[in-house]
Amino acid sequence: MVGQTQKQAPIQVENLSKTYQVAEREGGFTSALRGFFKRTYKDVRAVQEVNFQIGQGEVVGFIGPNGAGKTTTLKMLSGLLHPSGGKVQVLGFTPWDRRPEYLRAMTLVMGQRNRLSWDIPAADSFLLNQAIYRISDADYRQTLKELDELLGLAPITRKPVRNLSLGERMKCELAAALLHRPRVLFLDEPTIGLDISAQARIRSFLQEYNRRTGATILLTSHYMADVTALCERIIIIHHGRLKYDGGLSELSRQIAPFKIIGVDLATYAHADLRAYGTEVPNPSGDGKCLVQVPAEQVAAITARILAEMPVLDLTVEDPPIEDVIERAFQEKVD
Amino acid sequence: MLKIFQRLWQVNWAEQWQYRANLIMYLLYGLVSPVVYLSVWRAVANSQNTVKGLTAADFAAYYLTLVIVDKLTQEITIHIFAYKVQDGTLSDDLLRPTHPLLTNGLMYNIAFKVLTLIALAPIWVVLFLAFRPDFSHVTAANLSLATLAVLGGFAINFLLGAIITCIAFWTTRVYSISEFIYAFALLLGGTFVPLDLLPVAVQNVARFLPFQLFIYFPIQLILGRLTPDQIRMDFILQAVWFGLALLAFGWIWRAGLKRYSAVGA
Repeated sequence: MVGQTQKQAPIQVENLSKTYQVAEREGGFTSALRGFFKRTYKDVRAVQEVNFQIGQGEVVGFIGPNGAGKTTTLKMLSGLLHPSGGKVQVLGFTPWDRRPEYLRAMTLVMGQRNRLSWDIPAADSFLLNQAIYRISDADYRQTLKELDELLGLAPITRKPVRNLSLGERMKCELAAALLHRPRVLFLDEPTIGLDISAQARIRSFLQEYNRRTGATILLTSHYMADVTALCERIIIIHHGRLKYDGGLSELSRQIAPFKIIGVDLATYAHADLRAYGTEVPNPSGDGKCLVQVPAEQVAAITARILAEMPVLDLTVEDPPIEDVIERAFQEKVD
Repeated sequence: MLKIFQRLWQVNWAEQWQYRANLIMYLLYGLVSPVVYLSVWRAVANSQNTVKGLTAADFAAYYLTLVIVDKLTQEITIHIFAYKVQDGTLSDDLLRPTHPLLTNGLMYNIAFKVLTLIALAPIWVVLFLAFRPDFSHVTAANLSLATLAVLGGFAINFLLGAIITCIAFWTTRVYSISEFIYAFALLLGGTFVPLDLLPVAVQNVARFLPFQLFIYFPIQLILGRLTPDQIRMDFILQAVWFGLALLAFGWIWRAGLKRYSAVGA
């Protein structure tokens, strides 16, 4: 039987691999001529033996530097690409079979792409989606009302899409992608290029959508704020290989088992904190001196600083998530 | 399904309506060749009374029917889809639970057709007055049969266009391949010359190729120049070519999707 049995994780990925054949040649006329008769190809292994499962209602961050294989993986999960190897089941379907039942149950949103027709108002594209996804009039009205509440669509859906700002367009894109109430969402950089407040609105919208519908969400983003706000679990992929799959906080403990102590001193002079740990630059400009210390020594060192220095204020924080991720990309994580 | 086509129609119509000026340019450009061919053949016929039995008024009838039949059976799939394969925007269509070419691609073609025909109407009247064609053999029975022939012809042409478009999955040179095949269609379909003026050997080949099925056959049918046997034969040929094209399209589409690399973000 096609379709999902209740207990099964909606997304199951086993040994998924994708190798692209890319024609390559050097610059110049002779190599162009040579390329005309005999092309040379290079194998690019974009995704290699990736395994993971995502449970019902989970929101998982899919993280990796540019070219890591994130988008390729999402394209395979949404059925756009045939893999070179491995198995994928999403909601019980093999995505690249492109069964209409599957396509009606999922969505892929790509932040850098617009799927709405440029020349006509978004409202017309919504109506088209209603027909294509076979949404009943009652469901359509209800969903559109909810999306309008969450995103504030009403003022913008009657304008041709070409006249919308990037933020407005993204709202319409999301609405169009969610009208059919997909049970699985693949989001590729959904907040890219948006200003801080628009990013925050999209984020809280996704949170609310997940809460209301119990949809399973896999999202990529270069904005760590998206990831920390939405995801408890992250999957890190680098050079096409899975590097980490687990909780966001465990990652910090594993990769960066240290804390940052910030000290505001009564003296104007720059205090020398090197005796307590590694000094780190403070980008915030609040004048605090920052020192990085091993997590297990944080209590002892804090006590020493308070006893030995003229402290006005002292804070203890986790290292910024960007730094942790950066380290994860560089190190081998197991 | 009907609702999907209805909404696709609305969207495609609204989109293309915005580019109507552009469309009239294409239309005028497309009319240049048939009008030139007609003028040449008319001059030849006038100088020697008839060419293989065809008078100047016969040529006028042929080419004035051609400009309509050509619009009715033409397809522009390659121009709306090949680039999508190449720049990866096809992904947007593939995410929808409908066949991109057989739904949206088809409606785009039909919307384009309707707009072009509306724009053609006044120009056609001018051409009619200028060239005085002989439509005396056109009958209602022929016209209703020709409706079927036009539908069949468009279906075949659309599928052929879709097949050629799918070559874009393999090569970025798909436009030159399309142009090459189009040149054959012009010659062997009956646009350059009515097929009965071609050498017999060429006629015998052209007869069994699909090109004449969407140009020459409907025109001759409308003008009442075919015998019942010829009509039956051409309808059978249409059915055969439609079946072949459908099979070939199904195969190339599936094979193409396996190769599709969804480039770009």
